Amino acid sequence: MAGGSVATGAEGSSFLKWTATLGLLIVVAVPCLFIVVQAIFPEFGSGSFAAPFSLFFKTLADPDLFGLAGNTLILGVGTVVCAAILAVPIAALRALFRVPGALIWDALLLVPFMIPPYIAALGWIMTLQPRGYLEQVAGFNLAPLLFSVYGIMLIMGLNTFSVVYFVLSRTFETIGARYSDVGRVFGAGQWKSFWRITFPLAMPGLAASLLLVFAMSIEEYGTPAALGRRIGFEVLVTGIENRISEWPIDLPGAATLSLVLVSMALAAFTLQRWLLTRRDYRIVSGKPQASDKRRLGVWALPVVALFAFLSFLATGLPILAILATALTRTISGGLTPSNFGLDNFRELLGSGSDGLVALGNSLALGVTTALLAGLLGAITAYSVVKGRGRFRIVLDALSITPNSLPGVVVAVGIILAWNQPWLPVTPYNTPFILLLAYICILLPQPVRYATASLHQLGDNLEAAARVSGSGPLRAFVRIVLPLILPSMVTAMILVFAVASRELVASLLVAPIGFQTIAVYIWQQFDQGSAGLGMAMAFCALVITTLIPLVLVSLMRWISKGTVAGLN
Amino acid sequence: MRRFSLALVLGLLASTAAHADVTVYSAGPGGLIKSLAAGFTAKTGIKANVFQATTGKVMARLEAEASNPVADVVISASWGTATDFAAKGLLLSYESPNAATVPDFLKTEGAVAQGVAGIIIAWNTKSDTPMPTDWSDLTKPEYKDLVTLPDPAASGGTYTLVEAFYANGMTDILQGLKDNGAIVAGANKAALNPVLQGAKAAVFAGVDYITMGAAAKGETIEAIFPASGTVVAPRPIMILKSSQNQEDAKKFVDYVLSEEGQKEVAKVYLMPSRTDIVVDRPLIGDLKLLSKEGAPSRDEVLAGFKKIFN
Repeated sequence: MAGGSVATGAEGSSFLKWTATLGLLIVVAVPCLFIVVQAIFPEFGSGSFAAPFSLFFKTLADPDLFGLAGNTLILGVGTVVCAAILAVPIAALRALFRVPGALIWDALLLVPFMIPPYIAALGWIMTLQPRGYLEQVAGFNLAPLLFSVYGIMLIMGLNTFSVVYFVLSRTFETIGARYSDVGRVFGAGQWKSFWRITFPLAMPGLAASLLLVFAMSIEEYGTPAALGRRIGFEVLVTGIENRISEWPIDLPGAATLSLVLVSMALAAFTLQRWLLTRRDYRIVSGKPQASDKRRLGVWALPVVALFAFLSFLATGLPILAILATALTRTISGGLTPSNFGLDNFRELLGSGSDGLVALGNSLALGVTTALLAGLLGAITAYSVVKGRGRFRIVLDALSITPNSLPGVVVAVGIILAWNQPWLPVTPYNTPFILLLAYICILLPQPVRYATASLHQLGDNLEAAARVSGSGPLRAFVRIVLPLILPSMVTAMILVFAVASRELVASLLVAPIGFQTIAVYIWQQFDQGSAGLGMAMAFCALVITTLIPLVLVSLMRWISKGTVAGLN
Repeated sequence: MRRFSLALVLGLLASTAAHADVTVYSAGPGGLIKSLAAGFTAKTGIKANVFQATTGKVMARLEAEASNPVADVVISASWGTATDFAAKGLLLSYESPNAATVPDFLKTEGAVAQGVAGIIIAWNTKSDTPMPTDWSDLTKPEYKDLVTLPDPAASGGTYTLVEAFYANGMTDILQGLKDNGAIVAGANKAALNPVLQGAKAAVFAGVDYITMGAAAKGETIEAIFPASGTVVAPRPIMILKSSQNQEDAKKFVDYVLSEEGQKEVAKVYLMPSRTDIVVDRPLIGDLKLLSKEGAPSRDEVLAGFKKIFN
């Protein structure tokens, strides 16, 4: 690329390529490498290369492994199915029709991202178990459904379906009604043109978001740990976490199991690549398009009811459970008037509270992570989609790997890598280490979003810029970045939300004495102050939801509609 | 952003200054280690940096850091970690002058108990069930489907109790629990939560100080010491041999074992390990303890438990 030969005018600059490569090496490859080394050399933690492979094959030969891997697959596929069933209809409705209150539903469906899965799972348990909040209010409980494999799938589907909803509604919107109108001109019915034209064109978005859900669910710890353990349903992540969190510690075993998990995610990723490269999905060609949405007519009411029901399940119910716990003085007191009080919030927001410091730390880390991961993600995706040569497959694979690495394993890899005694300077034991961990864990999100939106971007716009005399870097900044900005904003909001509440890695690599939101919540639960923990969860939820909303409205106002898709 | 850069700078400063401070890795409760660190600094002027997590997470961090250890002092909730560390030669042998009144079974060459937790039945007083007085009560029909147990693989206390059941031929109680619909529910907190809300009536092998703490907050829950005896889980405090700051680390151990430190331990309803500290709760001397003599190995105990409950 350094030769500067320009074929279609869109193969990227070598500066961007090397930025992506270097960034991924430091953020992703280094910790991964140390995990592989740890899997092979069990004594590596203490600096010894003795007895290679002695535990590697033992772990792989463990008969439990098949059960764990099988359960992980079942859970991943089940969650993807649940998420797709929940998300596809409303995404299509949102994109192609004028849904009353669309912005409100968008905002409400954004909230599940902000609810930490372990908090949501706890909320569901406290609502649905016998004598839970539902039974206290309505007189019945749904414990048999909750504590079952289907219950876990359903709850994880509810936690993740908004990923699919947001990506897919954007994609449907970009496709617009224009292409299917062509079909209708040629005599296809409304349904037929949707299934034959709009839906197939949305494949990149659908595949990317479903893959994300699959990877998120096989990597998810909170829900399977809270619900699965009670019914003996163990998955790879809980197996890994048990090996790391329960004394005696088995780091090599955890590392080996992680490699199994990574291979599963890579298989899914290969499948997605195969789906994407089979056809041409470019739909943004530079031709102006009117985004005219149809009216719903008599269907307005049922559609609104559907949106309201899903928003309530995904957002309303967990929040009500969080509030119920935060606003009651004791759990055993239940929802009786005398038990309600603001004691927990008073303690949290009182002067000199650790909670406020933790909030500040997490928000600063969340914002920084979102910006850095967004930028690195966009550059990586650009180098992969528009670049040439074999290196881009390596880049692509590296960028998806962390998605399947449980946070706790990333944490161990990062400690192993950055606490080496021979390093002259190290971010270890400073807040930078959390930044590294969060970017590593969350990088797949902006990469996936940017990839999906770059796949729909024709080469001729960039070529036009190059013909008009701009260099590759300038074409990237002036043409490509603005066009993929809407997707990137969505991805960065997601990164911000997850980074500001990440638990498992934070717990392990947090610098000594440094608290984040999730660590604070966890410590409250650990001390038996569930109410205080839930009060913090609620405040964090409100703040992490409001910041992106304000930001997006601000950007819409500043750009005054010149940037497409920010609505 | 300014706040963040400030945090970064402070973090960097803290990490360079850490050589002069004592770094303590502690298993919960977080409130205890926080007040111990504050009291220590007030008394000696030496700063104590604290990393607090579960015993498992503390051990995982120590293991990952093994090539370049950061911690000076480690407090764990499982005595087994002390024996394991001692066997690996990781511990500095030190007998604190304040440990004179700590009973012999709560100290070894490299470790001494900071405090002691007792294993109990945690019973919800509003659960419409009769008050249990012994382990075997929970196998009765009154408690059908109403009992939780922490997983012995995740809870050191439960493990010690199950081990003692094996040593004393009491495993029929475990089978009885299983037949009575008891569920194994993760770590200690996961087992206690359904009992607080009333979904279940009792935790078999609950932890006394957690239960007493919840009761003090107004939860309708009671810690019951079973008639046939129980086990205790001493919480070792140990100095790592790799510590660059062993003198200050010793001072920290001295402080924890001082009368002032032991009173802090008692404030969170743990039993102080020193017998001369008077506290208003059942102490080690008051408890009937089950012997662990002749118990099978850890793997066998866990495998046996798994066989019963799967």
